[in-house]
Amino acid sequence: MKGDLLSGIDLPQGTLDLLILKTLNLEPQHGWGISERIRQISREVLQVQQGSLYPALHRLERRGWIRATWGVSDNNRRAKYYELTPAGRSQLEDASASWRKLSAAVQIILDTA
Amino acid sequence: MLRDLLYRGRAVFQRKVLEDDLDAELQFHLDRLTEQHVRAGKAPGEARRLSTIALGGVAQIKEQCRESWGVSWIHALARDLGCAWVRLRRYPRSAAMIVGSLALGIGMSVAMFSLVDAVLLRPLPFPDQDSIYVIQKADPRAGAHVEELAYPELVDLQESIPGFEHVAVTPTSLYGYARVLETATAEPVQLEAAPVSHDFFRVLGVTPRLGRGFTDSDERVGAPPVVVISDRTWREHLGADPGIIGRTVRLNGQGHTVIGVMASGVEFPRGAALWVPLGIEQGVVERRGATFLQAVARAKPGYSRQQVDRDVSALFTRLAVDYPEAYSSSQRGVVTALVNYWTGSARIHLWIVLGASLLLLTASAVSSGGLLLSRAVSRRSEIATHLALGAPPRRIFMQMAAEGAVAGGIAAIAGLGIAYLVIHSLVKWSPADIPRLSEASLDLNSFCFAAGAAAFVAVVCSLAPGWAVSRMRLESAIREGDPRSSVSQRANRARDLFVLAQSAVTFVLLATAVLLVLSYRSVAFVDTGLANRDALTLDVTLRGPGLFPAQGFNRVTRHAFYSRLLQRLREEPGVTSAGAILLRPLAGPIGWDIPYEFEFEAGSRDGKQRPKANYEVVTADYFETVGSPLLQGRDFDSRDSEEAEPVAIISETLAEQVRSAGHTPLGHRIQVGIGGRGWRRIVGISGDARYRSGTHSGAHIFLPILQANQPTRHVVIRGPRPRQELSALVQRVVREIDPSQNAGDPLTIGELIDRDTARHRFNVILLLWFGACAVFLAVTAVYSVIAETMAARRTEVAIKSALGAQRNRVVRDLVVRTIRFAVFGLAVGTVAVSVFGTLSLDVFRGTSAQEPIVLISVAAFLFVVSLGAAVWPAWHATRDSRRTLLRES
Repeated sequence: MKGDLLSGIDLPQGTLDLLILKTLNLEPQHGWGISERIRQISREVLQVQQGSLYPALHRLERRGWIRATWGVSDNNRRAKYYELTPAGRSQLEDASASWRKLSAAVQIILDTA
Repeated sequence: MLRDLLYRGRAVFQRKVLEDDLDAELQFHLDRLTEQHVRAGKAPGEARRLSTIALGGVAQIKEQCRESWGVSWIHALARDLGCAWVRLRRYPRSAAMIVGSLALGIGMSVAMFSLVDAVLLRPLPFPDQDSIYVIQKADPRAGAHVEELAYPELVDLQESIPGFEHVAVTPTSLYGYARVLETATAEPVQLEAAPVSHDFFRVLGVTPRLGRGFTDSDERVGAPPVVVISDRTWREHLGADPGIIGRTVRLNGQGHTVIGVMASGVEFPRGAALWVPLGIEQGVVERRGATFLQAVARAKPGYSRQQVDRDVSALFTRLAVDYPEAYSSSQRGVVTALVNYWTGSARIHLWIVLGASLLLLTASAVSSGGLLLSRAVSRRSEIATHLALGAPPRRIFMQMAAEGAVAGGIAAIAGLGIAYLVIHSLVKWSPADIPRLSEASLDLNSFCFAAGAAAFVAVVCSLAPGWAVSRMRLESAIREGDPRSSVSQRANRARDLFVLAQSAVTFVLLATAVLLVLSYRSVAFVDTGLANRDALTLDVTLRGPGLFPAQGFNRVTRHAFYSRLLQRLREEPGVTSAGAILLRPLAGPIGWDIPYEFEFEAGSRDGKQRPKANYEVVTADYFETVGSPLLQGRDFDSRDSEEAEPVAIISETLAEQVRSAGHTPLGHRIQVGIGGRGWRRIVGISGDARYRSGTHSGAHIFLPILQANQPTRHVVIRGPRPRQELSALVQRVVREIDPSQNAGDPLTIGELIDRDTARHRFNVILLLWFGACAVFLAVTAVYSVIAETMAARRTEVAIKSALGAQRNRVVRDLVVRTIRFAVFGLAVGTVAVSVFGTLSLDVFRGTSAQEPIVLISVAAFLFVVSLGAAVWPAWHATRDSRRTLLRES
């Protein structure tokens, strides 16, 4: 649940949540799909430790940011799909905004100091 | 937020579904990973292994997911409670003791709380009840606690106190106002009736459920008679007829139009079954001397209690100046909030009982806390093992708390059962004069109270043992059986404190109960001056049309009726004697108070300053029938007619006043009332008897029936026949003489005395019961402390015995410490009761002289009981200690 990354970078608290929400913003997806998507989009830099994905998904579901439904996957198997709820969408906006602010601020400090 | 709760709810109640989903979800992930590896050219077995490594430990992931569901603490709690249940069952005897004592305490306090709630806390059926006041007068200088108002003072209150929204008046007591209701279908019944002025219901803030209340036109002098009936009367006697409004019913032989049916629950003044307009008699509306009323007033919003007090007392002071011929200059207003007026002296009694029941609850909490502690101590090596295996102290503490909570929970349920039974039986056996007691029931409030009590007890129980054990040092705990280890020291200290607290609380309860018993004895077994407890009294008020039932009768017709009635009764077989009186003894605290003056002091005091005495009108043979002795002189007889010399009989207290002034009472003269019939010759002196209440003797003046303006209203009759027969006999003879009359409310003198002391007796029984429960709890506690000590120190005891120590010596060593603390507790309790006793509550009247003896006896009793409870298990256990125990160890 902590670390979240294989590549030796410690992901700050809550970053995994943001990545999940962002991924689901495109389309509903199952847990496996989410981990694959994050790996692909980040050009294999970020590899979510797969075991920590599920507790995070369940936590987000409890908070009401995502909603789960059972569907059929592309290889014709039953899979649990997660999709963003309206509350999740606004949470994503808030979190992305503050993430941008944070990283910009850190960037400024790194560049100037 | 709501969604979160729903989610957690699903996690608790649909756990199976969630777990299955989780399994399927993780399996899907694993399969996809495996496929990926297979596609990359791995062998299936290797692919599966790699994907399992990539995903991580499945059990761990699942556990983390469960934490995400936000309900893991619930499951931990459920587990703790389950373990606690198992542990409690492992020691069934001490578990039963713990639960039993808690249930006893909770049950009793819930029952008492329900009573207090029904009588004192639940609001009356009057909206905004706190702004309703009852206004009476008192005249301390004349010794009158309650002075009544007259109708003109209603107008004074209405006109000169702008802060009152509505003011109304009603008689201070309802005796004599009862109406006989005749219906076509059933036997005539006697119903309490309250004459009220027309704003009465507006003061109370209630509206009829059918029809209307009174208006000022109903109250005009000579207005056609109307009546408002209570909901109960409407249902019980008029068949809940919805078309009753506008119909005519016969009350005391006179037709009254029913104009309203009052909302249910409104029965004020207490017991009122119907209400009639008051101001329909010229004599009532105009005369300031016709004092028989009290006022009820509703204050406007924002008009405070202080303002009410100030304005009312200013008004009565001014009236005394304006009408010196009508009022005493020392009269003052007495304002009582309606709520307090309603419950009266029942308040203090109920609070005492509730306090006692809370003490009992404390005692039961202390007792079960001590038991839980003993259990914890005897399990210390088991707990030490848990600690050694790495269980955090917090977990141990939680387990203790869970054990307390489970015991508390079971006890709360059992306690509710006990409370139900207790309430049920109390309502059945309660004194009739505590208002609304019969409405007491187990309700939500009581349940909340029980839950609160259980939580309180669980906290008390779990904190102390948890505290003692979670601070154990491992090594000393594992060295079990060493009585000098720090654990044992600390646990012993806690246990000593429990014993001390327990014995203090028990002492307070028992001593209070015994003091109450003594005070009750002084009230109940006081010589009431009425020796014939079996004499039967009945209400035979003559009834006719008009506001006052007897106004249609004059002295001659009244006397004709009563002399025929009494003569016929006396002729009946099985009747020894019969008489009549204005107001039977102990009918209630209100009666006729009348100023008097002896000849020797004539003119020394202005009419308004004279002392007052209880005024009664009696027939011949009254004194003989009730067993009130004539100490000197003679009873009234046929000589005391209207034309003969006016005479009176006075009670011994009054005669003593004459003697102390140096005169002979018999033959002396007395003036009764102001501007009455002049001087009366004292022809007899009766023994002092109780008329208003069992605790106050007071002075009494008796007049013969033919020389008094007031009627006799109660028949007293005595004979060897059973009371039902006597009662039926009176009823039959009354009907034969005049079919429109009725005899009701039969009560013997003994019942009247009992009724007067009923509240006191009720309290005494409850407190004795609490005291017994407390003693039982204390015995259990001391017994179990010693028994646990024995269990813990078996080896030591065995060695001592084996080395030849005397058995009684060993026992003494074992119990002395516990007994010492029990004695400390008794000392603490004694101090508490002494301090409490100085409050000198009215209910403890007449016990202060005996208090030291009582305290000493109670302390001695509890000492002996504790000693017995301590020595018994110790003696028992040392019996075969030598052989068996040594062999065991």
